[in-house]
Amino acid sequence: MTDPHDAPVPGPEGAPPARALRLKAVGCDVLARPLYACAAASPHVVDVGLLRRGLHDTPASLRDRLQAEIDAAGNGDRPFDAVVLAYGLCGGATAGIRAHGVPLVLPRAHDCITLLLGSRERYARELAATPGTYWYAPDYVERSDPATDAASRALLGIGASSDEQLVAVYADYVERFGKDNADYLMEVMGAWKAHYQRAVFIDTGLGDPARVEALARAEAERRGWLFERMVGQLDLLRRLLAGDWDHDFLVLRPGQELGMTYDEDVMRTVDTRDPSGVVAQPDPSDGPAR
Amino acid sequence: MADLDGLAAAIEAGDRGSATGLTREALDEGLDPKGILAVMTASMRRVGDRFQRNEIYIPEMLIAARAMKEATVILEPHLSKAGVRPAFTAVIGTVQGDLHDIGKSLVGMMWKGAAIEVIDLGTNVAPERFVAAAREHDARVIGLSALLTTTMVGMRDVVAAVRAADLVDVKVIVGGAPVTAEFASQIGADGYAPDAAAAVEAVKALVGLADSAG
Repeated sequence: MTDPHDAPVPGPEGAPPARALRLKAVGCDVLARPLYACAAASPHVVDVGLLRRGLHDTPASLRDRLQAEIDAAGNGDRPFDAVVLAYGLCGGATAGIRAHGVPLVLPRAHDCITLLLGSRERYARELAATPGTYWYAPDYVERSDPATDAASRALLGIGASSDEQLVAVYADYVERFGKDNADYLMEVMGAWKAHYQRAVFIDTGLGDPARVEALARAEAERRGWLFERMVGQLDLLRRLLAGDWDHDFLVLRPGQELGMTYDEDVMRTVDTRDPSGVVAQPDPSDGPAR
Repeated sequence: MADLDGLAAAIEAGDRGSATGLTREALDEGLDPKGILAVMTASMRRVGDRFQRNEIYIPEMLIAARAMKEATVILEPHLSKAGVRPAFTAVIGTVQGDLHDIGKSLVGMMWKGAAIEVIDLGTNVAPERFVAAAREHDARVIGLSALLTTTMVGMRDVVAAVRAADLVDVKVIVGGAPVTAEFASQIGADGYAPDAAAAVEAVKALVGLADSAG
């Protein structure tokens, strides 16, 4: 494949660039330790910024937050060569985000599980095999935020419904709707647990996996789920931060925004200078136009 | 004198005890069941409107829909005795690989609240099950829900299965957090609704019914 990225995007697959790039990385704090590890190992100079997890619950506001980060990096007095996002589609939150000033790079991923498992193919296989899988990742557990998690129904993580939080939600419902309705709401809101069969702890080898695994295992047992430990694969994140951007990544140039593709490519470039919103100039990194 | 305002208020507040009690009273007093149903569906429409204005959220919708559902159970025998039938039948479910239930169930309850017969197939529903259920129940509409970008593509398979099965009069309507109008038209769906309240108007428009279910 020819180099799909015109200047000023740094050369990805061929020879390493002559100088270290300055990259601004913005990621979800679910990926905190992997991001720091990959940033540290990168040949480039990487500034890492984290946004708190669970923002995908309101995709529009996550999109605004990310766009603000992208715009700030593009406007800042420290010249970055590119902004990289350790985010996937995240429920459509990144659909519509735009490169500003410098290229913007994302892994072609639906969400953080892809980044922790290492490839969208592996994630697709796991989802097809057991749709009812509840994912646990170390940073998710470590960084759970009781103040915001009670209302969250994220697909991943212990904190989303710890016993203390459920008690608080229940008390709130009793006060607002009466006990009869509160019981009903807890039953409806909690019914998803019955649909899940398997809990998977993704061990990235970072931090203190044994401690977090024990927590995940205990909760899975309490909920009656099978428990599995999988070895995480950080290759996608490593390549994201190493500037090694092949077809597993989407590279947006200034003036382009991210569109969803609804297929295995996950995302595509949309040239915003074209009012029809059609796909930008043929870009071999970007899959078939549609 | 039957307290129909009270019935409307009870449904809107999710007070199922009062909603069922007042429905019984109204029937005992010989009120036209069709008129009682109209009061109920108007209540649910107001609940939907308030939801769309962000004045209330999913819990309020859920408890109102439950109150409506229980009051309807009391009303139904009287409706069928009076020859009132649901305008049409809709099949609803969450697509294969997706286990999210609440949004789909809420749409189903809102449809029931609009006097539509609803067959809820649950979650993780394969395309052929949608087709079989639509055939079995002579449905006019199939409603599809997906909450994940990984599973929403499965809606395309259902549309294809419906077209292949030659269910010419069956319309497919899609919704769920990541689903957009653009996606709906791309996969050849007949309709799209951004939320459970909008789903009521959207489904009626699809089958060519004016906004007057009751």
